[in-house]
Amino acid sequence: MAPLQDIFEGKIDFIGQRRVDSIARVALAACTIASFVVGYALQSLRVTMGTFALSTLLVVVMVVPPWPMYNRHPVRWRKD
Amino acid sequence: MHSALARINNVSSLFSTCLMVLLAAVALSSLFVTADPKGRIDVVSLKVYNAKAKRYPFKEQEFGFVKFDVDADLTPLFNWNTKQLFVYLEAEYANSQGVNNTIVLWDRIVSRKEDAHVVVSSGRNKYKLKELYESFKNTSPATFSLKYNVMPYVGLLTYGEAARTDGQEIPEARDAIA
Repeated sequence: MAPLQDIFEGKIDFIGQRRVDSIARVALAACTIASFVVGYALQSLRVTMGTFALSTLLVVVMVVPPWPMYNRHPVRWRKD
Repeated sequence: MHSALARINNVSSLFSTCLMVLLAAVALSSLFVTADPKGRIDVVSLKVYNAKAKRYPFKEQEFGFVKFDVDADLTPLFNWNTKQLFVYLEAEYANSQGVNNTIVLWDRIVSRKEDAHVVVSSGRNKYKLKELYESFKNTSPATFSLKYNVMPYVGLLTYGEAARTDGQEIPEARDAIA
């Protein structure tokens, strides 16, 4: 039961949390601008919405699961 | 950001904000387009007949019948944010009481840029041309105008006029040939 709960909790350490926060913010802002520019250049609203949806999916895959790279700095508890 | 659920919450709220900014940008990008296409209307014939109103079997009513030619190239109105154009032909006149009336006689929905060059030869009015006071006597001359409504995917509806004729006298009613 406990391993299942751990899987769903998806805990990451504090450095990882900070990294995930900045990745999500930068990536989404950049993808908004990029998808508008690309769609405007190609004069196709489908391209804009498509690239925006795909990039959001990419961000979700990169940020939500607890990848091991976000657990590289675990909290060091005191021994006593 | 401590748990997966917190990250999902965070990313989804950021995503909705970005989506709204993107849609606002798309709407603004097509709002200040200065396309002003013009066309031409020719009213081939305008006839008025006496008839019975459909709803009230004993009520006399005068109906107008318009035959027209339209030629308007509306392709400049199609940009990336245009979903469809609603093109309509209107008749405007002031009736015997002095009230201005505007009647839509014919319309068409243009969904693709290829169909945007509207050419109608010998079109007939789709909708009934009738006056509230049942007779077209003593009404001012009628002007016919071709107007369009640009419907975007995201944004405000915009209207415009592509052509307008001079005033034409609405003729005397005659009885239909039996």
